[in-house]
Amino acid sequence: MTREKLLDPTGSDRKTGGSDLAQRPASLRGLTVGLLGNTKPNAEVLLAEIADELKGRYDVGEFRSYTKDYFGTPVKTELFDQIVAECDVVVTAVGDCGSCSAATVADGIAFERAGIPAVAIISDSFLLSGNAMARMQGFGGFEFIAVHHPVASLGEAELHGRVQAVLPDVLRILGAEPAGVRA
Amino acid sequence: MTAVTDDLLADMAEIRSAMEYYARQEWTDGLPVVPVTESYLTEFLAQTSRDPGEVVFAIPHLNRECTVWLAAVNAAMAGCLPEYFPVVLAAWDAIAKEPYPKRGIWQSTTGTAPLLIVNGPVRARIGLNSTGNVFGSGFRANATIGRAIRLTVINVFDLHPHQLDQATQGTLAKYSACIAENEEESPWAPLHVEYGFGPSDSAVTALVVRSCMHIEARHTRAPEQLALDFANTISRTGALIHETSSALLVLGPEHAQVFAAAGWSKDDVRQAIYDRAVNSRASLAAVGKEAISRHTRWRVPADHPDAIGDRASQGPEPDLVPALVAPSAILLAVAGARNAGVSTVIETFGVRGDTPSSIARVG
Repeated sequence: MTREKLLDPTGSDRKTGGSDLAQRPASLRGLTVGLLGNTKPNAEVLLAEIADELKGRYDVGEFRSYTKDYFGTPVKTELFDQIVAECDVVVTAVGDCGSCSAATVADGIAFERAGIPAVAIISDSFLLSGNAMARMQGFGGFEFIAVHHPVASLGEAELHGRVQAVLPDVLRILGAEPAGVRA
Repeated sequence: MTAVTDDLLADMAEIRSAMEYYARQEWTDGLPVVPVTESYLTEFLAQTSRDPGEVVFAIPHLNRECTVWLAAVNAAMAGCLPEYFPVVLAAWDAIAKEPYPKRGIWQSTTGTAPLLIVNGPVRARIGLNSTGNVFGSGFRANATIGRAIRLTVINVFDLHPHQLDQATQGTLAKYSACIAENEEESPWAPLHVEYGFGPSDSAVTALVVRSCMHIEARHTRAPEQLALDFANTISRTGALIHETSSALLVLGPEHAQVFAAAGWSKDDVRQAIYDRAVNSRASLAAVGKEAISRHTRWRVPADHPDAIGDRASQGPEPDLVPALVAPSAILLAVAGARNAGVSTVIETFGVRGDTPSSIARVG
């Protein structure tokens, strides 16, 4: 009887990029902060709220807002390149669905690889999806932010609460606060 | 009492060891898979002239692509016979033409599945069921061709449930969904002929489906009554995430004959359903779906901060809201047994009527 090896049905030898985070700025003073929304309900409101908090704490140079044309896949190359050219750090939100949670994490990783510190915000119902995407991108240690689910259906006050809860992590990931320091 | 067969002996330890190996690797939909080795795979690859390295479908944002070789490994694991493989390849060609699979729909909470409709002589050649129990079990070609797609989605594209596949509930069609059209008992030209193929061609149409609903109308010979039953099913408000819905109507042969006996063409059927698939503004408001979001164009209540009016609100009859963008948002096929007035509405994902037909030739 001939004995043969079983075949791997997954494919192999996939190329992935590096897994080094971008260099963190010494401070946010004078920097341009990109706010990348994905059209999901409350994404813009959440980003504006974070911008307000940053404005109140640091002498940020400028905020620039951008919108993806489709939430389910990563940001298109042209917009990505524009953001990389125009911004020093980026905050992107909000991955509160199956495809957009993974896409938001993929965007965050792409910005880090392009040298732009990035905060990717998803909702915590999609932690596993975000983690799976980070592994798939070959960047298993990528740290993103998971706000308490849901986001889409929240009013202003509740959204404010969500932002307050994750703000220390936003600041830490951006490098605005040294590790261990809590605002 | 023990009943044993006389004709075959098996090495149980060996069989279990292979089955459990695949399960441990999570290379499965939960059911046992067929072990595949190079020599077995050769029989599948011999069924096509395409290069084993050719990419049949890619999802760039997942950094994954399916080659002819990988499609074959997963088809064999799914239990396909080698002669089914050209149909599996055509299925991938059709899926590649669908707008949503490459845009993350298989990661989505909506929880869709690919549905395949096979037309042409290949149906009889490989024993695809197009008649009784067409959505049910019991037919190897239907069961395993549909499953070949699912296993590939899991294994090649890494879309494991609870991981990158974030379906809230999913659908039963995620195990396998492959039917053949009952061309022999259809009063009209088959689906693939509508799309310009010849009757002697074989082709696979692929759709992204959400749900599968049963319509019983055994009492009527009036085509208008039937059309209204289908329209009511298609226009249900629960289906409306987007501004409009879209559907595949799989008519049982008896229902198809009711329409044909009245002299209706497929387009007449589509038009009649389109005309009747309408919600009143008030019935949409009652479920909070009377407006759409200016960002996503998903339905939202009028007092939502992102709310804008839908297309109908700008038209001559703003209080009557069509559930379909056009009659062509309904795909029509005939399948099942000619034994009762039963049909199925399958809700598809995406705004049909303005998207390319996702159909590909077999072989």
